[in-house]
Amino acid sequence: MKNNGICIRTEKLNKTFGTVQAVRDLDLEVSSGSRFGFLGPNGAGKTTTVRMLSGLMKPTSGAATVIGFDIERQRDDIKSVTGLLPESPGLYSKLSAVEFLEFIGALKGMTGAVLNRRIEKLLSMLGLEGRRDDLLESYSSGMKQKVLIASTLLHEPKLVFLDEPTSRLDPSAAVLVKDIILVLAEETSTTFFICTHQTSFAEEVCDMVGILNQGQLVTTGPPHAIVESSGAHDLEDAYLKIVGGKVDRESLLSWR
Amino acid sequence: MVHTWYHIAKAEYFVLTSGMRKHRGSLAVALFLLATLWAVEIAPAVISAALGALIPMSQLRFLLLIIFPGVMRAAMMFLWTALLLFPLSTALQEIKVGQWELFLSHKVKTRDIMTGTFLGKMPLYGLLVLILSPLLISPFMMAFDVSFAGQVLVYAVIALLTITTIWLSNFITAVVQARLGDSSRGNDIAKALSLIVAMVVIIPMYGMMFFMQTLSQILGMNLFLLMPFAWTADLVSWLTIGFNGIGLTELQIAAFTGVLQLNMLTNALLMGAFGVLILIVGLTLADRVFTINVGARTEKVTTVGRENLLLRGIRAMVRGPTGALIVVSLKDFGRKAQNLSKVFYGSVLALVMPIMMRQVMEVEGSTLEFVGILAEFGMMIAILGVIPFAGSGFLESKDQLWMIQSAAKGASHFMMARLASALLIALPTVIVPLAAVVYIFGLTVTESIQLLIFAWAIVSGAVMVSIGVTARNPNYEDTKSSAHQAVMIVATMLVMLSILAPMFLDIICLVAGIDLFQHVGLEALMMVGSPTIVFFVGLLMMRLGIGSLSKPQT
Repeated sequence: MKNNGICIRTEKLNKTFGTVQAVRDLDLEVSSGSRFGFLGPNGAGKTTTVRMLSGLMKPTSGAATVIGFDIERQRDDIKSVTGLLPESPGLYSKLSAVEFLEFIGALKGMTGAVLNRRIEKLLSMLGLEGRRDDLLESYSSGMKQKVLIASTLLHEPKLVFLDEPTSRLDPSAAVLVKDIILVLAEETSTTFFICTHQTSFAEEVCDMVGILNQGQLVTTGPPHAIVESSGAHDLEDAYLKIVGGKVDRESLLSWR
Repeated sequence: MVHTWYHIAKAEYFVLTSGMRKHRGSLAVALFLLATLWAVEIAPAVISAALGALIPMSQLRFLLLIIFPGVMRAAMMFLWTALLLFPLSTALQEIKVGQWELFLSHKVKTRDIMTGTFLGKMPLYGLLVLILSPLLISPFMMAFDVSFAGQVLVYAVIALLTITTIWLSNFITAVVQARLGDSSRGNDIAKALSLIVAMVVIIPMYGMMFFMQTLSQILGMNLFLLMPFAWTADLVSWLTIGFNGIGLTELQIAAFTGVLQLNMLTNALLMGAFGVLILIVGLTLADRVFTINVGARTEKVTTVGRENLLLRGIRAMVRGPTGALIVVSLKDFGRKAQNLSKVFYGSVLALVMPIMMRQVMEVEGSTLEFVGILAEFGMMIAILGVIPFAGSGFLESKDQLWMIQSAAKGASHFMMARLASALLIALPTVIVPLAAVVYIFGLTVTESIQLLIFAWAIVSGAVMVSIGVTARNPNYEDTKSSAHQAVMIVATMLVMLSILAPMFLDIICLVAGIDLFQHVGLEALMMVGSPTIVFFVGLLMMRLGIGSLSKPQT
């Protein structure tokens, strides 16, 4: 399973649902230890791509490897070395944070002192140590998101898929998540594949960005290069120029 | 200007009839025409033919004359509890406080919400009453040869009962929902309550099926004159007597007066006053009821303590991730009020059936063979293995699938842990109804042990079937989703058919000219055949479930 510094490689990856083509001929390379931001409007195919790469969904055609493992034949190997935070994850509201993380750890084959120590450290780092034994039903959505982020890091994955990781977080918690991503990527060579709508987040955190529109990868490169090549003043402006979506003032009032 | 209640009623009606989609109008008209035809022509004809085949009208008339007022009260009690509690039970499955916030953020009066939701429900429940009431009423209309005018009045009274009961149910639902609020904890309590509420309807239904005579004697007591359903029932009884075509004698009418106690006018006034009273209560208290009270529930923080001896014992016996998964599964299951309520529900159903069977035996003076107890108990105890552990008892919703599917071999680890925790809950629970059966039927020690092994095998198989069936179709959002309902129906049917499989096998063998009962013996066939089949079907479903849950989406 040689990967030559490439963590994710896709070749002509396609996914269709009936007549809808969710992902179209996706050719993508993500280097190990990088922070890849996957941008695109709702329904562009970002979540479908993540589901295929994490082994949860079969592609219609094409091929892909994740950390050197084939997404069709080595799904369990992929799951062992990756972490996944879906866009709208459900959790067990009648478990405490510690119990929930123990459950996720046990599903990943972890147990005992190693698991307990890691749970303690992650909860402490995320500022949840004071609420560790409270049932999750009493947590705010931001606190739940922190627990979910902890669950993706529990088994020290080599690659983490994060789908909208900061959408429910307050600014200080979002900064914390940004810092965790940056530190883990730099110190442990963990690769992050982040789906987001927040262009400012992608600009600050990601060293590579890909923009997906109607299932097709429109552009890829470092954020500043995309901004420059599109003649925009920041990534949001570049995104709007590439994907479209700018509406003039007259149109905004036309419904009246 | 169209009032806001109209729009709310329209939305409620659209939600209830969403299955019909754009053919809503034509289908609704067709359904009402069909239901009317059923009520006026088909049902009386079918019931007349069915009753005629069972018992001659002269004998039936005599029988109905004796138990008439009590039976009418029993029928009305069933209709009343069903109309009052089924909408409440359904509404509790899905707390709608979010919708109220939407209403109240606009210029909508709370009484318009009450009126709108009530009127929106009326067509569907009206249709149900139109279909069900002839089944309850027709035998009396035929036995007393009630005139057309009398029948119109009887159905008008039932319509009034329907309207007032749905209004009351709507009001109680609003109160309960507002108090529980739209929180995870509130939803859990609501779902638990919905099962308890459903039980209140189911048990009288069993009562009507198995010991109608005793029930009618009980309901014949004056105490029940305080209940609104008794006023409706007695009014229907008076109308039936008043418009009878069989020439009831003065003496017979005097006998009815002795039983009914209150005359027709008093019953009509009481019923009317009750309707007006709950209408006023509903409208005047609407503002107070709609105080959305999420805070009190969500602010309550539950902190877990040290694990108890049982959980620590499991961890010591089953070391590693499997032990941890079993313990966490037990905690998750045991902390949900809805799960405990389902275990209670299953146990009560398993307990009620032998009690009723015993009652029937006493009334009929018959005896029940051990093999009969096996069959009855097997069917009822299987419910204990299905209801708590199928569907949401296994997985709350499809939103939780990511945890299982994103772990290597997550499906098999999760399902085995769920199975172990379910068996740890179900197998000891079986002891309670089993002890009742042993006591009620005076079983010997050998028979009791046989019944225990039989029940454990059935419940284990039923739990495996439930988990396997759910794992094959976990794509539901909540317990109201059609996928969840399909899971519950398939799991129940599969278990029941597996229990009855030896009987089907015997029928097939008989057709083929082999008398299986004579060769094997009925008791052995039931004792060994049913649990073995359920157990192996369970193993198969578990295997298929693990395979299905591990498979990537296509």
